[in-house]
Amino acid sequence: MGQFDKLLEPLRIKHVTIRNRIISTPHAEVYAEDGVPGDRYIRYHAEKARGGIGMTMFGGSSSVATDSPAQWWKSLDFSNDKIIVPLQKLSDAVHGHGAALMAQITHMGRRNRWDGGNWPHLVSPSGLREPVHHATAKTIELEDIQRIIKAFGQAARRAKEGGLDGIELSADHQQLIDQFWSPRTNKRTDGYGGSFDNRMRFGLEVIEEVRRCAGDDFLLCLRMCADEFHPDGIDHEEAIRIARFYTETGLIDLLSVTGSGADTHATLANCMPNMAYPPEPFLHLASGIKAEVKIPLIHAQGIRDPLQAARILDEGHVDLVGITRGHIADPHFVNKMREGRLDEIKQCVGANYCIDRQYQGLDVLCAQNAATSREAVMPHQFSKAEVKKRIVVVGGGPAGLEAARVCAERGHTVTLFEKEPEIGGQVRWAAKAPARDQIGGIVRWFGLELKRLKVDLRLNTAADAAMIRAEQPDIVIMATGGVPFIDQFPGWGAAEGLCVSTHDILSGRVEPKANVLVFDVTSLFAGATTADFIANRGALVEIVTPDLHVAEGMGGTTVPVYNKRLAEKDVICTPNTFLHEVYREGDKLIAVLENEYTGRQEERVVDQVVVENGIRPAEALYFELKAESRNHGQTDLDTLFAYQPQPEISGEGFLMYRVGDCISPRDIHGAIYDSLRLCKDF
Amino acid sequence: MNALIPGLLVLASLLALAALAVARAARWRAGRAAAVDAVAGLLAMPGRYLHDVHDAVLRDPVGRAKAGDTGRAAARMHMLTAGGFIAATALILAVHLFALGGVVLAWLLLAFLALMSAGLLRLYARRKPEVSPRLSRGGFDRLPYAFTAFIVFFAIATLPAAGLIAPFSWASLGGLALLALGAWACIELYVGMGYGPLKHALNGVLHLAFHPRPARFGATTPDSALQPLPATAERLGVEQPRDFAWNRLLAFDACVQCGRCEAACPAFAAGLPLNPKKLIQDLVAASGTHGSDLGYSGSPYPQRPVGSAHGAIDKPIIGSGAMIHPDTLWACTTCRACVYECPMMIEHVDAVVDLRRFQTLELGATPNKAPAVLEELKATDTVCGRPTSARLDWAADLRLPLLAEVEHTEALLWIGEGGFDMRNQRTLRALVKLLREAGIEPAVLGAEELDCGDVARRLGDEKTFEALARRNIATLNGYAGRFARIVTADPHVLQVLGREYPALGGYYSVVHHSTLLAELIEAGRLKPAADDSGRRVTFHDPCYLGRYNGEVSAPRRVLKGIGIKVVEMNRSGMRSSCCGWGGGSTFTDVPGKRRIPDVRMDHVRETGAELVAVACPNCAVMLEGVVQPRADVADLAELLLAAVEAGK
Ligand SMILES: Cc1cc2nc3c(=O)[nH]c(=O)nc-3n(C[C@H](O)[C@H](O)[C@H](O)COP(=O)(O)O)c2cc1C
Ligand code: SF4
Ligand code: SF4
Repeated sequence: MGQFDKLLEPLRIKHVTIRNRIISTPHAEVYAEDGVPGDRYIRYHAEKARGGIGMTMFGGSSSVATDSPAQWWKSLDFSNDKIIVPLQKLSDAVHGHGAALMAQITHMGRRNRWDGGNWPHLVSPSGLREPVHHATAKTIELEDIQRIIKAFGQAARRAKEGGLDGIELSADHQQLIDQFWSPRTNKRTDGYGGSFDNRMRFGLEVIEEVRRCAGDDFLLCLRMCADEFHPDGIDHEEAIRIARFYTETGLIDLLSVTGSGADTHATLANCMPNMAYPPEPFLHLASGIKAEVKIPLIHAQGIRDPLQAARILDEGHVDLVGITRGHIADPHFVNKMREGRLDEIKQCVGANYCIDRQYQGLDVLCAQNAATSREAVMPHQFSKAEVKKRIVVVGGGPAGLEAARVCAERGHTVTLFEKEPEIGGQVRWAAKAPARDQIGGIVRWFGLELKRLKVDLRLNTAADAAMIRAEQPDIVIMATGGVPFIDQFPGWGAAEGLCVSTHDILSGRVEPKANVLVFDVTSLFAGATTADFIANRGALVEIVTPDLHVAEGMGGTTVPVYNKRLAEKDVICTPNTFLHEVYREGDKLIAVLENEYTGRQEERVVDQVVVENGIRPAEALYFELKAESRNHGQTDLDTLFAYQPQPEISGEGFLMYRVGDCISPRDIHGAIYDSLRLCKDF
Repeated sequence: MNALIPGLLVLASLLALAALAVARAARWRAGRAAAVDAVAGLLAMPGRYLHDVHDAVLRDPVGRAKAGDTGRAAARMHMLTAGGFIAATALILAVHLFALGGVVLAWLLLAFLALMSAGLLRLYARRKPEVSPRLSRGGFDRLPYAFTAFIVFFAIATLPAAGLIAPFSWASLGGLALLALGAWACIELYVGMGYGPLKHALNGVLHLAFHPRPARFGATTPDSALQPLPATAERLGVEQPRDFAWNRLLAFDACVQCGRCEAACPAFAAGLPLNPKKLIQDLVAASGTHGSDLGYSGSPYPQRPVGSAHGAIDKPIIGSGAMIHPDTLWACTTCRACVYECPMMIEHVDAVVDLRRFQTLELGATPNKAPAVLEELKATDTVCGRPTSARLDWAADLRLPLLAEVEHTEALLWIGEGGFDMRNQRTLRALVKLLREAGIEPAVLGAEELDCGDVARRLGDEKTFEALARRNIATLNGYAGRFARIVTADPHVLQVLGREYPALGGYYSVVHHSTLLAELIEAGRLKPAADDSGRRVTFHDPCYLGRYNGEVSAPRRVLKGIGIKVVEMNRSGMRSSCCGWGGGSTFTDVPGKRRIPDVRMDHVRETGAELVAVACPNCAVMLEGVVQPRADVADLAELLLAAVEAGK
């Protein structure tokens, strides 16, 4: 018996055959155009279908009614018939590749923002404020209830006319249906509140209406949470009761179960467990419900690996395995698995780049895959170049690794110089912080790919101009990254050795001391996770930042994790404050802090000052070779931004391009995007 | 009297041989009865000798160890030595016994002795100074001397008749010595034909006449279908030598110990305890009253010493203390390499399967994972133990129509066990796409498709094979007229459905995908782009496609259609070397020094190929199981699909 037999077994539900057990659960893509799926949206989902997925569930939090605005995350608008034709295109594309598809439709109730679109007054059962979106809604009236129930029915009809196999009703993450369910948000005393049956009533009426409008030959999935983790909310026992209540009506075909509520920052982070969580942290909750219901059950939360998925299915916890971020990272997950190319799967590392962008209303992108959602212009698979070139890549951080990979996929002969004994660049240090080790998965994947693609990897080799010339390259790609920029402000005392960098600490070059001040200018991961690293060793740590709060640049689903970790270790967070000066006094350091607004100064007596100020590009080698390169090191931006091949430049010698942080410091996605779009046409 | 002595020597030897032959025949007659058309066989014998045997001898032995050890050399050596010997014998009787012909015949006799000497030089060259390891020693090593003695003795004895010297008397010291030499030569060469190395001459002739598979001679496709169990046998399969049909015992006795089978055997090459030559010799030894392998002078079964095996015509052959160890029996992959190479036309695989039938059916002694597999087959109708309904799980999105749902299909796709295996699902997927590309909408049996029975049959479980076959035949016959032909990517299915079901009443046109794909390319229904990658590609012929079904051209035509020039391995086509899967050997899993697929991958490496194309799901799995670095493995269908897609 093959290890993936069960994963690859089709599931037939009514008239729909899902070809295997791996699906992607609904997520807000932030790609819709005017509330309907356009080319980018369709290609994004078609790529997963092409990659072998069983079913793609799309349109996370698509709106059924105009008072549930969804333009914040550019989701689909099911409140209008104009969505039908675009949906048909999407259905054809996905079905054409053999996958099934369903959309999530919902009314968000109070879980929304009111200050846009039609500026609607949001509705919720009892008009209580929602902590994450900061919205206070009006108490929903019976007329609203009737209107919204009808809207659900009409949305389902549109979905059916759009050729979908079914829809998912979200009663998860505290949307209107589960706002009625939860005693935390439903304080009503009428027929829609109080008793269990009353709290279930709205959901039941929605389901009945949807069935009435969509008919029997249409799949209906209900997404719900198996424990809100709030003392005043739905606990596991209650969730089981809810699941039984609805499945026993015989009106729904599938149940999708997650763990955790989502109406506080802390619980929200659970929904898309990032790399700090153990694998499948809430599977037991889904499994608990599976045991009580008779219809197929879906669970997605931290399942990233085919073997893990196979085990979960084999053990009977679920019927369909949701690998949602896993498919954002690699839409060809299933085919690679089926073809035994497990090492080629680019596994999600839980960086939550995708969802953290979504929470800012930005299009969903993957930290480690720059082709995702850019299928029209960026390849997931490569064809071989017509002319085989010799390409030298200098630097083995994400930009250089991606450049080497893409060039090798195109069939070129690639040499990669890395001065350190291992690849990864700054990611190596990022992975040293506690609960951040999985970010190293990005580099591990590159390592395997470069090996498979037979890239000539020269570790421990600091390339100089002569070495590069000796390779007689056609193209040189500079990806030399940078060095910590702690000498920007003389008062920090870098020149006098009074401060060290986060790289110094994380790499182990400098031992953390007992009483440490971390001064964090970038407010991204480095500062907070270095503080965590030091505090984890029992030190006293204060983290100071000129920003409005610590780790301001970290995304909404990740910052709660580190807030918790820092708070647990009593790390003192001091925002709005600049590090003015550091000087030595005896065996202690004195850090002079200055409030950004009042200018008032205070001093700290510490053993060590760590400054996080991003990096300064390493440009020396680039400038040394610039003059002799045919293109003077210039990337033609018009063609680059148009995803076109770089212009031909005749003459002797090599072409040279820069990618990633050695131009200016950005993030991992920025680095690999640079490399992919540049190198895909070499 | 003096002049008659040489002739009498020969006459006496021939009489002794006749007595020995009668005794030998009694050994064979202990075997089971067999329906043999003796007259037709005897009439056909010379033709069989001149074509089939000659062709086999003429082929260079596999992996010959010594320069000049070629098929041609062997054929010449036989022609000269044996031809000269037969003619010389007749002339000795004429000249020396009946004093016929005077000087002319005497000179003719001298001429034939000279001819023999020419052959003798080749015999020396074959055995001196060293011998290829596949050859046996012992009596064989004495043959050159015996022939020398024979020629010297009869030449001198004939000189007076030829008028070259005066008649002389044997009653001198020199004469007696010469006489002793002549007598020894006659015993070695004439009497020896009844027990020694030369017995292959007489037994070979009889074997050719009474061969158990007369259909193999002059056939265009190999006669490779296993034969059903005899209905009236006392035991199922073969336990003791006398359970073999008499003409099988005769067949074993024809073995000349040339070791061509040994040199070709993949199990032997990988150091599994099997050597087909010794297997046959052990069967010969066991057919007497006190058999042992003490007299065996060839290569042993790898990992096993020679000399401790014992058996008799009425004793069990298989057993750890018996003539043949069970590991030897179960190491065979049923690849038929030995059968193809054997110049004596011996059918080793039939013997192996007959012996396995008894082990499995009567003793339940199938080793390792094989009993579990047989249980699965009985319980679930699949080798892997999954329900037949899961065979098409991988194809859910291809929406293959069930035969039950369509009126007629050009191609009934027989999925086989490959449908359960992720590796081979890729091949099947490619095949379906190719068929559709060519405008053929294949249908499938779905859950009605049971295992074809190949594994059960090769493991000796004829009962399970028959049960599966009969049920498949009932299903297929129920759809009579609804499908033009059965298409399969699995050569084992091709063999069993196409060649072994007819004996049970199932007659279908079965075609291997390579054959169909070649047809489709040649008919212009598939338009592949030419492969311009410049990579070196070799092709591994599956045993069950090539040696079992004679199809070695179609796969090459498919590759040619993609513009791939195959870099052939030394062992290819009908002489391909097994991947190690067949005959249930992955389940019996007898350990060797290496794994058989590793050996085969070495052959691939010798070609420098980056890719080895295969045409069988089992070869694909075995060769892909070889650790890296190694050539990539791809089925013809996968390669063709890529080319067809590139051509669009
Ligand atoms: C970018 C993004 C947006 C999401 N949006 C929604 C949503 O709108 N509705 C929903 O029910 N779940 C949403 N989810 C949650 C996913 O459906 C899924 O439950 C979650 O990502 C955990 O599964 P995973 O670990 O396989 O990614 C979203 C997830 C991501 C990553
Ligand atoms: S059939 Fe193949 S494996 Fe078996 S003895 Fe003959 S050559 Fe060896
Ligand atoms: S069985 Fe055939 S091939 Fe093998 S040694 Fe005997 S004669 Fe030669």
